[in-house]
Amino acid sequence: MFRFRHVIAALLLTVPPLLAACRSSETPSASAGESHDDFGVAIVVPKSPKRIVSLNPTTTEILVAIGAMPRLVGRSQYDTFPDSVKSVESVGPALRPSVEAILAVHPDLVLLYASQDNRAAYDRLRAAGITTVAFKIDSIAQFKRDARLIGALTGDSVAAKTLVDTVSATLDRVRKATASLPHPTVFYPTWDKPIITIGGGSFMSELFEIAGARNIYAEVHAPSAAVALEDVVQRDPDFVLSSRAGAERMKASAMWRAVAAVRAGHIVTIDEDITTRPSVQLGAAAVRLAELLHPGSVR
Amino acid sequence: MIRFDDVVVRYPRSAADALSGVSLEAGRGKLTAIVGPNGSGKSTLVRALIGRIGVARGRIAVDGTDVSAFDRADLARRVAVVTQREELAFPAAVSEYVALGRFPHLGIWHVAGATDRLAVNDAMTAAGVHALGDRRIDTLSGGEWQRVRLARALAQGGDALVLDEPTTFLDVGHEMAVFELLSRQAREGQAVLLVSHQLNLVARFADHMVLFHHGTVAAAGDPAAVMRADILERVYEWPLVVTRDPAIGAPALVPLRGRSGGK
Amino acid sequence: MSATRWICLVLVLLTASLLATVVGTIHVPMWALWDALCGRTDSVPAMVVRTLRLPRVTLAILVGAGLGMSGAALQGAMRNPLAEPYLLGVSGGAAVGAVIAITFRLGVAFLPLAAFGGALAAVVAAFSVARAAGARGDPRVLLMAGVVVGAFANAAIMVILANAEANAVRNALWWMMGSVADATWTQIGVLAAYIAIGGGGLVALGRQIDILALGEDAAAGLGLDVDRALRNVFVLSSLIAAATVAAAGLVGFVGLVVPHIVRGAGVRRHRSLLVGSALAGATLVVLADLLGRVLRPPAELPLGAVTALIGVPFFLVKLRKLA
Repeated sequence: MFRFRHVIAALLLTVPPLLAACRSSETPSASAGESHDDFGVAIVVPKSPKRIVSLNPTTTEILVAIGAMPRLVGRSQYDTFPDSVKSVESVGPALRPSVEAILAVHPDLVLLYASQDNRAAYDRLRAAGITTVAFKIDSIAQFKRDARLIGALTGDSVAAKTLVDTVSATLDRVRKATASLPHPTVFYPTWDKPIITIGGGSFMSELFEIAGARNIYAEVHAPSAAVALEDVVQRDPDFVLSSRAGAERMKASAMWRAVAAVRAGHIVTIDEDITTRPSVQLGAAAVRLAELLHPGSVR
Repeated sequence: MIRFDDVVVRYPRSAADALSGVSLEAGRGKLTAIVGPNGSGKSTLVRALIGRIGVARGRIAVDGTDVSAFDRADLARRVAVVTQREELAFPAAVSEYVALGRFPHLGIWHVAGATDRLAVNDAMTAAGVHALGDRRIDTLSGGEWQRVRLARALAQGGDALVLDEPTTFLDVGHEMAVFELLSRQAREGQAVLLVSHQLNLVARFADHMVLFHHGTVAAAGDPAAVMRADILERVYEWPLVVTRDPAIGAPALVPLRGRSGGK
Repeated sequence: MSATRWICLVLVLLTASLLATVVGTIHVPMWALWDALCGRTDSVPAMVVRTLRLPRVTLAILVGAGLGMSGAALQGAMRNPLAEPYLLGVSGGAAVGAVIAITFRLGVAFLPLAAFGGALAAVVAAFSVARAAGARGDPRVLLMAGVVVGAFANAAIMVILANAEANAVRNALWWMMGSVADATWTQIGVLAAYIAIGGGGLVALGRQIDILALGEDAAAGLGLDVDRALRNVFVLSSLIAAATVAAAGLVGFVGLVVPHIVRGAGVRRHRSLLVGSALAGATLVVLADLLGRVLRPPAELPLGAVTALIGVPFFLVKLRKLA
């Protein structure tokens, strides 16, 4: 009797949470193909969606670039490029969005960033019968694929292909122009407490390669990683990439000046718009970087 | 030497006075004992003396000066107090413990000198704990610890010794030794003020007895005057007889069976 | 504790500091160390020592010494072997101050001030709560008041961070994990002043803490002004703890564990215990920082995480000894 009661209690306590966990995690696929999104869920292409909600700056600007903006009824509060997009109603943050706020604009297609923070919203929207697709947007290859996929979803495949081709062409042009030049090493911290660098899995790392430079942490597979300052000093980058405000802080800090590039003033400042996420301006970003690192190399 | 004049003490948020107008004096060269039932205010008197509870009315004076006018260290140099309870959070060696008694005598830099060491040594011998010097406090028996605390009070020196129930855990042999020690201290000129439950031992050794009852003095005087069956029965609310002990002839109390019991 | 043991303790601290200065991602040979100490920073290793390692090790020594002393004093005065410097609301209050400074972007220079101010405000609040409950500095009531203030502080932090942007949350979390990596010499100087004055004061109160440890009635019987002594110990301990938190964030377990280690070596008198705890605490934090730097390159483990990882097995061992 004693044992039986305890077994039942144990089952009641452990099975429901396990079931809940199983239900919410579909089998993840390492690299999603065209038929599955980045949560590993099969995509069902909707029949000409008319009310699209996009909760990510990159997917939003892709939608604008392929001409789907008239059908955009909701965006995240951080989607502010291009300016015209600001006239679209904001439905909240890009991570852990309020499902109610999204449902209030009656979408038939929702685009989300594929992060665990968004998993709950993703599942609930799908349960409500809305086509919801999750995207990883870290590398250039992912950006191209996302653009093509979004084109397929909205019925603007031609415009999407044009976008991808234009960007690819510019990137190839820059790559060719810098191929024969010496490649300096670059360090790009995106945060200072703790120091977070871009890794090989980040589009910025790829842009550096295209622009004729090398990310000192290119061997790190993840898009970003925390590192110690001493490690940076040891790797001794030729250049440090930073925002304008960050550059001033670094030059004034006794600690950062342990890095030779900071001491020598080899800090390259760049607008944050093109460095925080891959965008339709990837081509322009590559050109800008190449000009900063190899002046006069790109026409 | 220590004089309580009409002392009234009330604990905060309490309905009644813990002490309502108590007057007594503990003079030099005498052993004064306070006895009485539980909750009659005996320990409260001691706490009022060391300033742990405020006096609502009345006066407590040491050598004529109000205690509140004294510098605390100065007061501690004149009057050594052994409280009923003590805490033992971080046990140390016995000799260390007794040495704490010299605290009121140490200057700003708190460095012990030869006088201090001598005082500690003498105190430990007098209290019979010299052999326990290197033992840790938490390895002692209840009785041994009590004697160590007494040693500390002796090391504190001074003209007065105030003890709240110093023989609780002691066996008869050690108890007698403590009472004989206190009697000796009194004869050597100290003012000894003792709170105790041991009516018979008190009757043998005390020069002056004070019987407390509900925060007032029910009877005071030499043991013969206080150790009377009618007074004691009224205060302790228990049937008893008072006889004379066969050894010295001091008054001795013998409790009888309770009224609700048999004969 | 005998003279030999004291000398050993000092030598251990010096060795640990030397090790922490020389060991790390960048290899520092002895000549570079000498160059750095003489002010010559031409070579990379010498410059790393001077600008990166020396400030960290110095700050680690100060933080460890401060927390060790603060913990020893509080454990003695509160007669509670589980008391520690963050007890009276210091950690909660400092965290609230820091989170406010980070979330509302009040500037990097303001952060230590906000943490310090928050810590002191919390201690004052704890005292007020205890006084309103009617206790005259009774350590147990003060402890509970500290818990109440700490709980309130946690609620406040949750409220503030719930609506903060992701970067603020990350910053706040990193601060709360403790680190000696962002030490400026100015901050170190200010902390050194607090440790010197506060620590000196506590050592002077050492004898009084010995007496306090007997219980309040017994202490009064020995001529100690109990309320004033308790207040002095609390104020100095909290000031030191608040100063360490302002400089290095939350570094837990040091103030709790170090006095036990020193007591385990046979030190009983609080004057010696305080000095011993300062030395042992400094050693512990220096070594914890070194471990955090070398265990998982290229990243650094937060200091608070390493001290917690050291503290947990320590307490398991201590519990076994009790049982």
